[in-house]
Amino acid sequence: MTALLVNGQRVEARAGDSLLIAMLRAGLHPTGGGCLCLGGDCPNCLVTVDGVAYTRSCQVKAEAGMTVTRDHAGGEPALLSDQATWAESAAPVRHIHCDTVVIGQGESGREAAREAREAGFDVVTLDARDGQHVTGVYPGPLVVAADGGGRVLHVHPRREIVVATGAAEIQPVVSGSDLEGLVTARAAAELVAASIDLGRAVAVGEPPGELPSGSLAGHFPLGHGGWELVRFEGAGRVEAVVLRTRGDGEAAEERIECDTAVLGLGRNPRNALARMASDLPVRVVGGAATEPELPPCPGEGTVCPCSGVTVADLDGVWERGFHEMELLKRATLAGTGTCQGGVCLPYLRSFLLERGGRLQPAFTARPLNRQLTVRELAAGAHTAVTARSPLHDEHLRLGARMDRAGGWWRPWTYGRQDDEYRSVRERVSLGDVSSLGKMAISGPDAEAFLERIVPTRVATIRPGRCRYVLMLDERAHLLDDGMLCREADQDAGDRFFLTSTSGGSGFFELWMRDWAEAFGCDVRILNQTASLAAFNVTGPQAARLLARAGALELPAFGRHRRVRVAGVECRIVRLSFTGELSYELHHPAADARKLWRRLLEAGAAFGVQPHGLEALLRLRLEKGHIVIGQDTDYDSTPRRLAHEWAVSLDKGDFVGRRAIVRTNKQPLDKRLVMLRTDDPPPGSVEAPSAEGAAIHDGDRYAGYVTSDTGTAAGGGATMLGWLYLDAEGRLPREVTVDGRPARRVDGPTYDPQGERARAAVDVASESPENVREFPVTRLEATDVAAGAPAERPRLRRLEATRVSATPGALDALVADPLWPATALAFRTAPDELLVTATPDFEVAGDPHAIVERETAFSYVWLDGTTAERFLDRECEWRRPSARPALAQGEVAGIPAKLWFEAGRTLILTPAPFAAAFERRLTASLAEVDGDAE
Amino acid sequence: MNEFTERQMKLTWRAPKESYDVVIVGAGGHGLATAYYLATRHGITNVGVFERGYIGGGNSGRNTTIIRANYGIPAAVRFYQRSVDLYRGLEEETDRWLMHQQKGILWMAHSEAAVRAERMRAKLNTEFGAETEFVGPRQVEELCPQLDMSGGGRWPVLGASYHPQGATARHDRVVWALAEGAMERGAHVHQNTPVEGLILDGKRVAGVRTAAGNVAAGVVVSAVGGHVSRLAAMAGLRLPIRTHRLQAFVTNHYRQQFGPIVASSELFFYASQTARGEMLLGAEIDPQPSFSYRSSHDFVQHVCRRALCLLPFMSDLRVLRQWTGVCDMSPDYSPIMGRTGVPGFFITTGWGTWGFKAIPAGGEQIAELIATGETPELIAPFGLDRFARDRTMADRGSAGTH
Amino acid sequence: MSLRIPCPCCGDRSVHEFVHGEIRRVPDHLTDPDERDLDFAFHHDNEEGVVTERWFHAQGCRRWFEIRRDTRTDRIIEAAES
Repeated sequence: MTALLVNGQRVEARAGDSLLIAMLRAGLHPTGGGCLCLGGDCPNCLVTVDGVAYTRSCQVKAEAGMTVTRDHAGGEPALLSDQATWAESAAPVRHIHCDTVVIGQGESGREAAREAREAGFDVVTLDARDGQHVTGVYPGPLVVAADGGGRVLHVHPRREIVVATGAAEIQPVVSGSDLEGLVTARAAAELVAASIDLGRAVAVGEPPGELPSGSLAGHFPLGHGGWELVRFEGAGRVEAVVLRTRGDGEAAEERIECDTAVLGLGRNPRNALARMASDLPVRVVGGAATEPELPPCPGEGTVCPCSGVTVADLDGVWERGFHEMELLKRATLAGTGTCQGGVCLPYLRSFLLERGGRLQPAFTARPLNRQLTVRELAAGAHTAVTARSPLHDEHLRLGARMDRAGGWWRPWTYGRQDDEYRSVRERVSLGDVSSLGKMAISGPDAEAFLERIVPTRVATIRPGRCRYVLMLDERAHLLDDGMLCREADQDAGDRFFLTSTSGGSGFFELWMRDWAEAFGCDVRILNQTASLAAFNVTGPQAARLLARAGALELPAFGRHRRVRVAGVECRIVRLSFTGELSYELHHPAADARKLWRRLLEAGAAFGVQPHGLEALLRLRLEKGHIVIGQDTDYDSTPRRLAHEWAVSLDKGDFVGRRAIVRTNKQPLDKRLVMLRTDDPPPGSVEAPSAEGAAIHDGDRYAGYVTSDTGTAAGGGATMLGWLYLDAEGRLPREVTVDGRPARRVDGPTYDPQGERARAAVDVASESPENVREFPVTRLEATDVAAGAPAERPRLRRLEATRVSATPGALDALVADPLWPATALAFRTAPDELLVTATPDFEVAGDPHAIVERETAFSYVWLDGTTAERFLDRECEWRRPSARPALAQGEVAGIPAKLWFEAGRTLILTPAPFAAAFERRLTASLAEVDGDAE
Repeated sequence: MNEFTERQMKLTWRAPKESYDVVIVGAGGHGLATAYYLATRHGITNVGVFERGYIGGGNSGRNTTIIRANYGIPAAVRFYQRSVDLYRGLEEETDRWLMHQQKGILWMAHSEAAVRAERMRAKLNTEFGAETEFVGPRQVEELCPQLDMSGGGRWPVLGASYHPQGATARHDRVVWALAEGAMERGAHVHQNTPVEGLILDGKRVAGVRTAAGNVAAGVVVSAVGGHVSRLAAMAGLRLPIRTHRLQAFVTNHYRQQFGPIVASSELFFYASQTARGEMLLGAEIDPQPSFSYRSSHDFVQHVCRRALCLLPFMSDLRVLRQWTGVCDMSPDYSPIMGRTGVPGFFITTGWGTWGFKAIPAGGEQIAELIATGETPELIAPFGLDRFARDRTMADRGSAGTH
Repeated sequence: MSLRIPCPCCGDRSVHEFVHGEIRRVPDHLTDPDERDLDFAFHHDNEEGVVTERWFHAQGCRRWFEIRRDTRTDRIIEAAES
């Protein structure tokens, strides 16, 4: 005996009882009335189980300690359960790959499974009686089911889906069909088998086959020469069935008293799963494959018990012109409840046939076939992961408040906003810009290719120089901006380094590769976004700080060079976003923390401190530098942005050039301008940001503000905004912003000539004794093969080498490797190779090959069993069976590379996602949700 | 008997005529609203609306029924505010219960950039008549106590823009009320009558070829959703339109306990409780073009996962039904309304994921264009010629989810 | 998973791992350069039927490839069928 609580009342269940049977044993009808089918086809046994409403009690095993409420016996269940806190977690998932999945394990389902197995196929079976409720058959193909034990199964059949779900019994629709004491024929057999006393039972229509003789007090066949069901009578519970001779409206009614009416009214295939999968490899067998039977058009009663729709309701909407099946459904809501038309659909069809003379098709079968809960449906999904800079923990240590920006966690502020700003303007400061997109480009067509994808002239960028560039789409709308460096060493041909903004870094590579292929350019492209960290060393003392860190040979403005800083190999680029003397240090991500700490240490004498994104946005605004996405919009052409200076129309074709030529023939409508307000608003000491505020030219609406950091007490503000030209085509000079006077200015008021950014630097004054010696780390590749699965898996950064070269050259290289035998080489694309060795080799077959130190990845070994357990849950795609093998794709919602060896599996994932991956890995092995950050 | 069964409207079906002053292709919300406003505002009733399926069977019956005006550029704010205003009077005007409920919409911000974007939205909207304010976390919590303000520990609610006029209405009833209003004044609506071709008189569109025969027309209006490129091609037009799937789902129905509409552009979903008590969730379009009405599991899966971060109370709710519509997306996420350059052929398209909220204003304005021959000022910026004129709409506010 | 995209380098993966790319064609009858550019920039075939399109496997090999897909059903036309 098992005890559970139903509306606070103790109910005893016998072993094997469904919840419904246990309730009926205790004399409780779950919903207070309506014909019970015991097959999951009707809404008449719905209850709330442990806080989950709309649970079919016939499909759930009675378990000790269950708390059941009969919410559906009247009214609606509460939206908010009584729980004070809700578990914000998805249910665990299991991915199962197979050849064939058979849904339903009745006779025809077992037969189909046996045949498929005999033919040598890998077969998975799902059966509702084992708690496996299939919610839908989807493209993929994918079959989703609850597994009855709190998990969700995602079955991925390669070959075939067999639907063997049988047939549902047609429910009665007559007056009184919502009484208690009505059961279908199959249900009656099950109830009797469970020793539930039906009392005086009267069968109508097809009798149940399996009842012991003598259990029926009467049997009244329907159809030709038989009877017609008129109504049920009773108060709450059925007391009599009323019948008359079929087809004879004049015939006298016959009233047959009973305690239970057993109804065999015909069957309808349970084929919704097959109908929702019409162009998938689905085969329907057994009862599910039969033709639907059409019951007689109902005269009265409830047609749709889910939505409480009566025959009178149907007549009402029919009379008012709702004649299509879908309109009838939408106007009455029949068929939109839990049973998805299981009860009403046959009657709606017979109703429409009788009224309109046309047999209309069933309404569209849509998921969900069985209603899973939100947490069950969420199984296997992860929220988007936000990338972490290699300095993430450093920022936290320094008290930063991190903010999501462009897909990365970035330090918004270290809590010293004003001083962060002042450290840049007055002293020296570090800013983490590791999130910038970074690409290396080489190849015979490298220069020609870049000329075609950026509007800026590339040919005149001399070796060792760099230039600010725009990136446009084919509509000449600004996509992104960045910095293009031509390598100083051009011995092996042209080679470039191009950055993009953080937000654009995900798009950057695919955009470049798309155009490289479209133009047929012979180039090598290597994405170094995650491999290289970058910080901006900016402020009047920037050069002195770097000199003290050992970098005495710094590039002049507009140039870049490779310099060792504090023992770390860097590419230093000198341009400026803050308006001050600035050096951008690009260096291997693996060395970022070391370099950051050493620079903070070396700069202590200058009062160095880091600045966050908030200060940076203010610094750049004072210089009028735009931020993509904040100041730009879908229609931002270089002309509108006042960036024509970055466009060379006379250099030949480039992406967006024809659109510039075309749109230049149209009058200009608006321009992004700098505005300056000098007057603080009356009566207030500070003004909040005016972003979004309308700009007026007299009474005329003239645009809106896109960037403003607010106005300090007593000071003016610099803003960026869109300003519309007036009717005469002029850009107004004097405007108002939020009623405050503002003036359009032609350039930054802060250091208008850019002297601070371009300042000549003399570091000779740094006396040699001030220059610190920092140890230079010897480069060593990770000996991956020597790694071993650990008890508690931890991801570590991988020291390796990435090669971008022609496929032929890589074939030759892999056939005759130049690295130690212990190194592993992964061919991640036909033209790309990842090798766990140091980058001290050349690719003989390709002079343009890019061979670079690669620290973008983190890795972990799992033993074979652990890997299987993890991947069964977190990898939805089919894994290779060969060993060794490389596979790439999403695992736990994060891009991963898997290297399968016999008995162990290596997982590589981009280091910016390593923390999230490790958390998800650990959580998955512990069977809990691991999305929290 | 349920309180939601339709008990008022009467649809009157008539046989097609050989000629109409106005032929409208597509009996969805926009097509029927055009017929409705032609009849009610301009007395033009010799109108035939042709529908390949049943009325409101496309996106009008598949959307998430949200009405709002908090867009990102003045022209759009003004246009959608007109629609919000028309919707507010539509129950009274038609004397039909449309289940219109003003419930307010909260647009969450989880990052500083989003806070700035929502502040901007609030300022700009208010300036152009669509009342919106930026509210801090405490007010957000008051407006929607069911929210987990920590966003599951990783999507904290830093604030939101609040648009009190945000509303919902029963999509089907809106369609039917407009159909009824047009039909009772003499307009014809023909279901199961696909338009298979356009009749051209030189360059001019002079009628339609339908499954029920040729029909002459003074003007033809395309109010087609999902297949507009095909119809336009019959008039020799190429459109800046790509068609994408948009999915949504509802839970079973529960007691009314969730007040506003909540949305998050960073978590990419939005949710509201319908008049009937279902939680209704939607998100972004599928990125690749498609005309398939097939629903996918991953949509429900990912939206459920994201919704759990903000609305963990939904954890044990059961999802009842999911469905798919196909949306015509324009390059600037804004509708295309008005003349096409082909005489006799007008268009209302590009309704993407925001068509429902625009039904009354869209119909009203197109009707005025047909009746007067002049493009009304309110929709002048939305013309098809804007692409050639380099006047795309640039509306970041519409690039949200619905 | 829903739609599966067959990456020639990595195998079948969920559509979520990919970025879609369109192959644009400007009709031959357009001859004016500005008209051709306008068409290239904004107009689409928006074909209901089998289209050849590009996909970028962002979560895997990070390369573009072409497939054929029926936009009415989302069915991928295998190479052998075309």
